[in-house]
Amino acid sequence: MTGAKVRVLLAEEQSLFREAMRIALESQDDIEVVAEAKDGLLSVTEAERSRPDVAFLDAGLPNCDGVRAAAMIRERVPECKTIILAAEDDLKTLIDGLEAGATGFLSKDSPLAELIEAARLVHQGETIVPRRMLGGLLARLIRRKREQDHAIRRMGRLTRREREILVLLSRGADNHIIARELVISPETARTHIQKVLGKLGVHSRLEAAAFVLQNGITDELVEAGIE
Amino acid sequence: MNNNSLKARPRQRSGVWRRQTEGEIALYDPDNGQVHFLNDTALAIWDLCDGTTTPEEMILAICELFRMHRDVVVEDVRRTLEDFDRAGLVSWDR
Repeated sequence: MTGAKVRVLLAEEQSLFREAMRIALESQDDIEVVAEAKDGLLSVTEAERSRPDVAFLDAGLPNCDGVRAAAMIRERVPECKTIILAAEDDLKTLIDGLEAGATGFLSKDSPLAELIEAARLVHQGETIVPRRMLGGLLARLIRRKREQDHAIRRMGRLTRREREILVLLSRGADNHIIARELVISPETARTHIQKVLGKLGVHSRLEAAAFVLQNGITDELVEAGIE
Repeated sequence: MNNNSLKARPRQRSGVWRRQTEGEIALYDPDNGQVHFLNDTALAIWDLCDGTTTPEEMILAICELFRMHRDVVVEDVRRTLEDFDRAGLVSWDR
């Protein structure tokens, strides 16, 4: 490891807690706090300005929560690793954070020593998850994979035209837009839509759109040659 | 680990206790009095031994979460499940 310090951004609404974290982190020779923020949008701005290596983001930040801020930072400052701080062991926040690109999760009742170590480990490329949450997290990832596989199998029953229809439905297109895009009549579009709903086992256009988005299968549709 | 063993589903044997002492987690088998200490990965794998999850699913989830190379994870999962099996802590659903 070079002599360069790990550059950290702290995003926490409560100044007392933020100051405690700053003092703890800066007590280490290899860590430097380069920016602070007390809300989510400011944390993103500060990340763009200071280009930290690691950002600690409180899940409950006002004006854009920590998970959304993590997603924005991932997009705008991709070299910055983010760690979500939550008030308690919350599996949903953990999963949302990981899906937003965060590489760490700590509960706020963790000792400061864990905070310090997390900064180092995440900077080195590791993923930090509390051991007590690991089993539940893996079980949730497995369940999501099963649901995605099931969704892909259902999508496999669709013809190419029906997949085109599904892509447009997932973008909120109505019958007229679908008809115009695919150069078919609105009545033909309606017939196709009914077939899509039937094959997917859903009961409405909204359910069909949700089917695509919730199962994260937009990429599979695109790979099938649909744009 | 071959394709067949990747599809069989390990299930925790009933009666095995999970105990936590001073940060260490262990499995206690009352049938023979043996105690098996678990690291974080082994604990997570133990939690997934629910009779419905295959070793292949465990491997994919761990690879996804920790961004680890598959070969490393396969070896970890294989060794852990073999340890559980050898100790009589799991049965296998086909």
